[in-house]
Amino acid sequence: MADNMKKIAEGAEAKIYKVNIFETDMILKNREAKNYRIKKLDEELRRKRTRMEARVMSRVNDAGIAAPRVIAVGKYSIYMELLKGVLMKDMKLNKQLMRKVGKSLAKLHDNDVVHGDFTPANIIVNRGRVIVFDFGISEISNGIEEKALDVLLMKRSLRENMYYEFIKGYDTYQKSRTILRRLRSIEERGRYQSRTLS
Amino acid sequence: MAIIGLESSAHTFGVGIVDEGKILANEKSMYNIGKGGMIPAKVAEHHIESARDVIVTALEKAGLEIREIEGVGYTRGPGIGPCLQVAQISAKTIAKKLGIRVAMVNHSVGHIEITNHLMNLKDPIIMYVSGGNSQILKRVNKPFSHYSVLGETFDIGVGNMLDSLARQLKLDPAWGSSIEKTAKGGKYIDLPYTVKGMDFSFTGLLTKATELIGKESDEDICMSVQETAFSMLCEALERAMMLTNSNEINLCGGVAQNTRLQNMLQSVADEHDAKFGCADREFNADNGAMIAYVAEKMLKHEAYTKLENCDVKQKYRVDSAMVYGR
Repeated sequence: MADNMKKIAEGAEAKIYKVNIFETDMILKNREAKNYRIKKLDEELRRKRTRMEARVMSRVNDAGIAAPRVIAVGKYSIYMELLKGVLMKDMKLNKQLMRKVGKSLAKLHDNDVVHGDFTPANIIVNRGRVIVFDFGISEISNGIEEKALDVLLMKRSLRENMYYEFIKGYDTYQKSRTILRRLRSIEERGRYQSRTLS
Repeated sequence: MAIIGLESSAHTFGVGIVDEGKILANEKSMYNIGKGGMIPAKVAEHHIESARDVIVTALEKAGLEIREIEGVGYTRGPGIGPCLQVAQISAKTIAKKLGIRVAMVNHSVGHIEITNHLMNLKDPIIMYVSGGNSQILKRVNKPFSHYSVLGETFDIGVGNMLDSLARQLKLDPAWGSSIEKTAKGGKYIDLPYTVKGMDFSFTGLLTKATELIGKESDEDICMSVQETAFSMLCEALERAMMLTNSNEINLCGGVAQNTRLQNMLQSVADEHDAKFGCADREFNADNGAMIAYVAEKMLKHEAYTKLENCDVKQKYRVDSAMVYGR
């Protein structure tokens, strides 16, 4: 690790640092050891997840979807491109933007990438360009259920009219109807019925 | 006010007496599951047979006459229908005889609030783990005061998973505490680990662990299942804790009696300079005191139910129950 690193964020799983290597600013995401779990399980989880995240990011990069580029991968850490822009969660939303966000998810799903945490906190907008990041719990899957949960997560954080525009963008995905049908059946299941949001 | 609380949602018939938040009595009679599970009709029969004795013992412990009781609370749900009905009928009988008010209490709210009360927690993130439930909750006051579910199991509760494993390993008694004992000295084997954000799932883990019976030692299986399941809970809880900026953890419910889980969550709390609170065993096992405690708060806020409307609700979700006071 570089010594000129500055911690900029901390998640439950990983710490995010801004580092400068070869005069280039970049992001270092490091999965930290957790004392509560036994070493063998802890190392196995961190190693597997780092590898999966790097694999997903490479696939996303290769497919030409706007996301941070991977620079290097360590055992528990990933060095990636530093993004510029404003977080979607801090922006006033508009129809045009929501259609773009829908299209981003359509492209991810078309490449069988399930994001796992597709919320306005994990989308950055730079001069109208929608960039998706944090593939920390993403996986490669063609599962209808998993994809429907990506849509559900975004739906929960949007007003109805904005969700409508989001779905217009998402409809560019060939299998969007199948996914949205599953979404309805998930919402009808008992456990989700009365689940409230804070 | 002196309140009697009756609890019979599963294998325990419990009676608690509380006065101004002070616990005067907490008595119970437990159905012996032996190596089997719970047969609803048999458990209900046990409750009917023991109800009178447990109520009488509780009154003696509290040093009160039945006519000094000013209100009654009972568990409306969630739980097993025939079992729940025993506390419901007992409560209605007492209320009718004494002409006092009845509060219908949500079982999960009982566990959460008695822990907040005894451990002096103000606004914790809550890990509620029992047989049927495994949820991460936080109090929210909109659109009404309730415990909002941030994360929960996609399939079975962690307690049911441990009980089921105990039965298949033929441990006696066939429930979680025997798993904890057997786990001592075991080695870790890789098992399926499923966390999705703040939700988790236990059936994959149970299926795999069941397949290992006979191939690996009981110690190794129990140890690995505990470590995997509890690590999943801790990971989801830590995420919820950071999301809600909580600086307190409330661990409650039957599985909260497990010392390994307590130690792991204490470690999560230490990591974030947070306070960790878990009540004594008798309040994490099903008990009447927690029902009496919540009933007292409800009755003080006039949240009583007319006798003819007193019912039971097997799937009474915690987030649909209104909570009162601090």
